[in-house]
Amino acid sequence: MKFECATNDILSASALAARFVERRANLPVLAAALMVAEKGRLILRATNLECGVEVVVDAKVSEGGVVAVPAAVLVGFLQNARGKLVSAALKGEVLKLETERASASLKTIPHDDFPVLPKVSASSSFTLKVADLVRALRSVTHCASTSAVKPELQSVLLSAEGGKLITAGTDSFRLAEKTVPLRAGTSVPNLLLPARNATELIRIIEQGSGDIEVYYNEHQISTHTGSVYYTSRLIDGSFPNYQQIVPKSFTTEAVVLREDLQQALKSLSVFSDKFLQVSFTIDPGHKSILLSSRNPDIGEQTTTLRATISGEGFTINFNSRYLADSLQAISGESVRLQSNGPGKPILIKDAADESYFYLAMPMNR
Amino acid sequence: MFVTYVKYTLYTVSPQLVHKKGPFDARSALAYALHNLSCRLMTTTKELWENTLVELELSISKPNFSTWFKDTHVVKIEDGVAYVGVPSQFARDWLSTKFHKDILRSLRGFADSIRNVEYIISRSPKKAVEEVHARGSAELPLESVHSKTNLNPRFNFSTFIVGPFNEVAHAAAQAVVRKPGIAYNPLLVYGPTGLGKTHLIQAIGNHFRVSAPERKVLYLTSEKFSMDYVSSVQSGKVQWFKEKYRQYDLLIMDDIQFLAKMEKTKEEFFHLFNYLHDGNKQLVFSSDQHPNMIQGLEDRLKSRLGAGMIVSVTPPDHESRLAIVRAKALAHNFILSDEVLEYLATTIEGNVRELEGALNTLLIQFEMRGKPINLNDAKVLLRGASSAAKKAVSVQEVVKTIANFYGIDESSIYEKTRRKEVVRPRQVIMFLLREDFHVSFPSIGEKLGGRDHTTVIHSCDKIKNDLTTNSMLGQEIHQIRLMLK
Repeated sequence: MKFECATNDILSASALAARFVERRANLPVLAAALMVAEKGRLILRATNLECGVEVVVDAKVSEGGVVAVPAAVLVGFLQNARGKLVSAALKGEVLKLETERASASLKTIPHDDFPVLPKVSASSSFTLKVADLVRALRSVTHCASTSAVKPELQSVLLSAEGGKLITAGTDSFRLAEKTVPLRAGTSVPNLLLPARNATELIRIIEQGSGDIEVYYNEHQISTHTGSVYYTSRLIDGSFPNYQQIVPKSFTTEAVVLREDLQQALKSLSVFSDKFLQVSFTIDPGHKSILLSSRNPDIGEQTTTLRATISGEGFTINFNSRYLADSLQAISGESVRLQSNGPGKPILIKDAADESYFYLAMPMNR
Repeated sequence: MFVTYVKYTLYTVSPQLVHKKGPFDARSALAYALHNLSCRLMTTTKELWENTLVELELSISKPNFSTWFKDTHVVKIEDGVAYVGVPSQFARDWLSTKFHKDILRSLRGFADSIRNVEYIISRSPKKAVEEVHARGSAELPLESVHSKTNLNPRFNFSTFIVGPFNEVAHAAAQAVVRKPGIAYNPLLVYGPTGLGKTHLIQAIGNHFRVSAPERKVLYLTSEKFSMDYVSSVQSGKVQWFKEKYRQYDLLIMDDIQFLAKMEKTKEEFFHLFNYLHDGNKQLVFSSDQHPNMIQGLEDRLKSRLGAGMIVSVTPPDHESRLAIVRAKALAHNFILSDEVLEYLATTIEGNVRELEGALNTLLIQFEMRGKPINLNDAKVLLRGASSAAKKAVSVQEVVKTIANFYGIDESSIYEKTRRKEVVRPRQVIMFLLREDFHVSFPSIGEKLGGRDHTTVIHSCDKIKNDLTTNSMLGQEIHQIRLMLK
């Protein structure tokens, strides 16, 4: 095996691949990136058996071959190697890498055990704008649960009906749903993409533009973007039937400026206790919302927000992080808060955009 | 001594071995016999797989074994094929290309009836670990709906209040629970909105789910059924759709009146109905009116629905309303004085849902203020909710509704025509305007195209007489009254 390629190309490809390796795997080859050199290109492959990636790099290949090297070592060398070109040659069990000023010899790992990346047939797919997919995933991924007790809550729901892609995530304390238009494909059954893999997908595609086509079957999802092939397993399970718990009518509705609320939550977090509790007092009489947080060891703070309020006033406590999270996905100027009173969840929306909602439960103490 | 003992033990296990001619090799015989014995004892597929894993572990490197065989299990063994459940497509592809021979060989070593191994992706039946939440935040009631059956566990028989208005329906539901598929199949519950139809039919499902957990139950609305059908057509998976619904032992469908408008869905429903009914699977439906009154429903469906039991629920009487409010308040741990309960039951005459809404209004106030609600508070809070003020209906509206009901042109009511299909509806309009809205005879005549008041009196008398003999007419008028509400 012998090839030559641009340092930047192979660096970015191996940095991407390195994100997908499993460092603590029992199988040493899973910590490696597989390099396949063939006619005019070098393919890097990495997987942690949850998701996998394949990156193609242009290369001048004088002798084809396959080799597996530890991804972290490869990236570590390339990051600091000066020079525009890297040449590589396999000698026995050692891969020799050379740039203008540096050279390294990497011990390779037997690649026989490197798994194949599952391919998903093109029979079922949907297409949408890259920006929309990024927005849809980013709006909900942070709500997914981090606990392994319920794999379905560790995932992001993707489903489509009537030409719209709906994504949702919940950790049973809050829930977010986002709807974006599809370019092709009208209905998609419920797909549960592990949230960790969704985060990786966002990173891969967020630089891209134009449309992206996503293929799926019952167990696997995959997509191509530029020179990158991405695939992830899907969770076998059923996402909670959350539509039924989203309230349809409300006794109180308040509209506040997003920046005001964001700032208030940030400043209150200084004084919040270990549960990050903030208290909301909605006061229709004064057209304001009084926010306060209190930590017995530090002190307390109150902030008043001007708000347009209809309905009854009440006081309710929240985890401030849950509220701050909701604002991540809102870009409009004002935010609509709707609730049915103490003990009931609060529904948060962009006042001018119906495609996103966030439902958070109050504190129960 | 030891050899004799082994021989004796072996004899009980496998006699032909001991009777074999030649010198007796105790060790190999013991090994063989133990192997034989273990095969016989391997009653469960779980043990079979565990033994296979033990053997595989010896022939495969440890990292490989722990990476690929972790979380595998045998799903079933059928016709000599062992179906091995693996956690992901990664594992499936890898096991079938790399380790297939080893797995098959080991499995066959324990059970020679196995001829092949198939790999399917399925989650291993792990026990869920309980986790203690220390977040201080309340949880969303995500578990409130049972995801496999769609049933809401809140709806069960113990929370269902029986009164004269629904006791027939309740008794029918109980009979269905006792003898599913035999007693009344299908069971159809009909009546206006908010009277507990959904509660009752879901209670059947919930009872069934507990009493016969191995049987498959599904609750869905006709709208969901139709949406499912449309998307299965779009994605070319109609066969899959058919099979999915045909596997249930109890199918509960809510609001089937909506099927009437959807031609293809209705056909699919018809076939599904026949399939399940022929297999003695229980079917339970709800609808807002009697199937004979649902426009657009074909006769073949109507007659099939009628083959089982059709029961109606009517609005609750005063005593039942009182019992319902009392029970609902109790369920919320919400204490109300008798006079407030009485007030609620008297003023909210409509359906149970309105009653619940009014109670919730009081409940929220109670939680906010933290002091008991007295009669005066209740009166103030529920000022708008009282159904005593019956809304005035304009004559045009009545004419429009009834003309629509009979499928005739609204303007023909006002014309001088005496066509039969117009005369009857016109008489019904006059009758209802007089009986329900207390419009005077001359004014009815004048508004319906300048007719004489004696014509109106005659019409009203005619309908009144017909009502005593014609039960179909009674049904129609009942339906119209519901529509005018």
